[in-house]
Amino acid sequence: MAEQSTAGWVGTNYRRKQDPRFLTGRGRYTDDIDLPGMLYGAILRSPHAHARIKSVNVEAAEKLPGVIAVLTGERAAQMCEPLPAVIALPGMRLNKSHAIAADKVRWVGEAVAAVAAQSRYIAEDALELIEVEYESLPAIVTIEQALAPDAAHLYEEWGTNVAMEHAFRTGDVDQALHEADLVVDESVAHHRYTGAPLEGRAVLADYDRITGELTAYISTQAPHQCRTLLAQILRIPEQKIRVIAPAIGGGFGNKLQVYDEVTPCLLSMATGRPVKWAESRSENLLAGVHSRDYVCGLKIGFRKDGTILGVKAKLVGNVGCDGTNRAAGIGALAVAAAYIPGPYKITNYAVEVTGVVSNKAPYGAYRGYGKDVANFPMERVLDIAARKLGISPREIRERNFIQPDEFPYQQCAGPVYDSGDYPACLRRALQMIDYDRVREEQARLRAAGRYIGVGFAAMLEPSGGAVPNCIFNGYEAATVRVTPQGGVTLLTGIQDIGQGVETTLAQIVADELSISPEDIKVIFGDTAMVPYGLGSWSSRGAAYGASCALMATRKVKDKILKIGGYLLKTRAEELELKGGKVASRDNPSRALSIAEIAKQLYLFPGPYLTLPEGLEPNLEATAYWTSPVVRWAPDEQGRLSIYTTHPSATFAALVEVDVATGHVKLLRFVIAHDAGTLINPMVVDGQIHGGVVQGISGALWEELKYDEAGNLLNPTFQDYLVPVAADLPDIEVAHLVSPSPFTPVGAKGMGEGGAIGSPAAVVNAVEDALAPFGVTIRGMPLTPERVLSLIREAASAPGARAAG
Amino acid sequence: MSTITVTVNGVVYREEIEPRLLLVDFLRDNLCLKGAHIGCEDGVCGACTVIVAGRAAKSCMMFAVQADGVEILTVEGLAQGARLHPIQEAFTEQHGLQCGFCTPAMVLSTYQLLARNPDPTAEQIRRGISGNICRCTGYTNIVKAVAAAAVKLRGAKASDAS
Ligand code: FES
Ligand code: FES
Repeated sequence: MAEQSTAGWVGTNYRRKQDPRFLTGRGRYTDDIDLPGMLYGAILRSPHAHARIKSVNVEAAEKLPGVIAVLTGERAAQMCEPLPAVIALPGMRLNKSHAIAADKVRWVGEAVAAVAAQSRYIAEDALELIEVEYESLPAIVTIEQALAPDAAHLYEEWGTNVAMEHAFRTGDVDQALHEADLVVDESVAHHRYTGAPLEGRAVLADYDRITGELTAYISTQAPHQCRTLLAQILRIPEQKIRVIAPAIGGGFGNKLQVYDEVTPCLLSMATGRPVKWAESRSENLLAGVHSRDYVCGLKIGFRKDGTILGVKAKLVGNVGCDGTNRAAGIGALAVAAAYIPGPYKITNYAVEVTGVVSNKAPYGAYRGYGKDVANFPMERVLDIAARKLGISPREIRERNFIQPDEFPYQQCAGPVYDSGDYPACLRRALQMIDYDRVREEQARLRAAGRYIGVGFAAMLEPSGGAVPNCIFNGYEAATVRVTPQGGVTLLTGIQDIGQGVETTLAQIVADELSISPEDIKVIFGDTAMVPYGLGSWSSRGAAYGASCALMATRKVKDKILKIGGYLLKTRAEELELKGGKVASRDNPSRALSIAEIAKQLYLFPGPYLTLPEGLEPNLEATAYWTSPVVRWAPDEQGRLSIYTTHPSATFAALVEVDVATGHVKLLRFVIAHDAGTLINPMVVDGQIHGGVVQGISGALWEELKYDEAGNLLNPTFQDYLVPVAADLPDIEVAHLVSPSPFTPVGAKGMGEGGAIGSPAAVVNAVEDALAPFGVTIRGMPLTPERVLSLIREAASAPGARAAG
Repeated sequence: MSTITVTVNGVVYREEIEPRLLLVDFLRDNLCLKGAHIGCEDGVCGACTVIVAGRAAKSCMMFAVQADGVEILTVEGLAQGARLHPIQEAFTEQHGLQCGFCTPAMVLSTYQLLARNPDPTAEQIRRGISGNICRCTGYTNIVKAVAAAAVKLRGAKASDAS
């Protein structure tokens, strides 16, 4: 156990309370839970990207011994409602889809039928016996195809494939570009990849036909939203649904939806027995949510010295078949529009965003949720512009950074930035990577025909988001309860998905009550136990989760002092809570422990103890926290502010490129990060390490590749390349601490940042390594083939530089 | 149906099973040992790793019938009562786990690695655990945990010897 510092438990590397369960195989993930009479579910998925369903024949499947129920889309449609929109902002087109398709399929992997059987083996056998007749339709895979005038429409009733349009402008961009010494006009693309948590989606649904009650164990980041959505979809009164999210084997944003999650519930309703469905890896990659997949054009005007005068952005995202109903992925594009200015002082800004549908898997949340979309193009184009201006990548960023004395900073697109020291992050990262020495080394190695490169990216990590008219709403709840023995439970709407809130929230409560985290049990992931809360996404645990836990604890502390004062016959103001005891400031020997007070209160309450007027016989309180800076009503310029805190960082990558094979080797990766007050530095480091590696992996290896017929070419871990330890160096992290003035703890969050800035850092490093070849990188992943073709293209370009 | 006899964590089981039953499903469903997880069923992620006849094996790549007459160690067999194995201790001390889904398998791969090489370099550790995917930690702290476990185990051995 970490020692408690004099300042308390916050800030210490308190060892995680949940670890022993996971280490001994007692994690109890959804798939680990078995119920009496349980059946196994399996889902048949469309092999077509775009097709009409002509007929579904389930006769043979139904006859297979051990099969208890088979659901077609048609049967399912009678049992439930279409999937409601989970985000509905102005300018968005919504669709009418069902958990199981009945008339049309829109991506390879869409559910068309489902089976419940006595074993998973039998259920999967039965899928093979289902015959579906399709009439295929033209597959729309790319943005160009989706926008072509004669394109087939995924949703005929729309008359277009455009699912979202959004535009915003402030200042006078055209004038700014006109006045600029240099205008850089670049278009960069980011391919499709996703979180691929090691545990896929999983549901164990248990419907009781007599009571009409449903208990559903779901691997989800947001149990309450699941309950609300299931109630609407399944037509079950919400009080009759209990969603339990036990241990979650990773989420990264990919477990914030309800579509395939409906199917096991339907199977349980159809059979009256518990039904478990744990998806296979191919299902996860084919039919789970995807992310990124956009093209962003940036037109930026600079002064000679690198000062940005104005930015015009045009962002087009390929949201696959759905970014509004199955999952709220499309909102990421709007977030990107708000954050393209990033950590830089930009006053003239215009952005146009388009989201188009295509016959690919649904678009969901994934670590970054648009902040990554904002980051990569800007950090990429700054490097390209620096080269054109003949200044260093460092100088161009330093020239434009918002300065530490300018906070709170009203950014031009609406957000209010809380605090930070962006130049200091940059300096620190360069120091860590030993920038000057690396440059010397680079020159020396180049002479020997070896190509190393260093690249960096500054990053902003807006956290604690609150999106209007969306399941990603903006409050959180916590209840703190003292037991008659003086122990404490914290009930939170935040979900532990690996990020460790079971421990870090206990640290917060412990400090406030001057007890040990050991004496605190954190309860989460059960809608029958915890107050309605919104779960884990947008790195909101530190802002929302910690804040409401602190507020609830303060209320309980107040009660403890009042009741302690009553029992000690001392005014509460003369007392303090220290070492788990209420004691008189003047006479510390007049003291009662929390346990003594709790025992008196709970076991001898009311008239027997005769509590003073206004005090209830409990040591319990619930508190809600809403962000003081989120603003949903547009200001006079039409701007919203939807994020609470703004952690920041600079990332730096050192790579070596083998120009003969195209292989990129990552030599070092460092990050100087500012997440405000650190609740548990060890946990913070871990979050950053993991996020960084996902971003690196996106830049170098991971890509969900579709062919022109809309087939996903790599739906297994054999060919969707997720890194192993040998592919990577240690991730080195340093912390700067600018506490947030907008949260009571000063913490900002840090779950996503790692994945936001790392792709740009890696790509910038590779381009730097290949500078002698005159390579400009506008896309990823940087596979050996791509690197080699970049070198070839640069060599054959007019005015190509010779490598040397 | 076939009948197999296997010893898992020191307990002998005799079970009648379908020949096509995967070892991982046998452990999880027949024996209720849920520590072996399923992350891909493709032999890539390693989440299903257990020690079969002294060697780390991906139990999604084996049929249960192939384990007939064999001794198996799963993560459930490592801790002694409430006392964690030194490898498990090192993982929690170094924050070598987040969601914990890869963890039992990582611990068992470490168990094999350190049995073969009690003092591995960082490079050797990285290679030694490369049959296991972790999606959360980025591996930095897992590598530290394995190194720390090596120190603990060498210490335990030395004190056993003295
Ligand atoms: S489940 Fe066995 S290797 Fe992935
Ligand atoms: S800790 Fe989540 S996969 Fe390793």
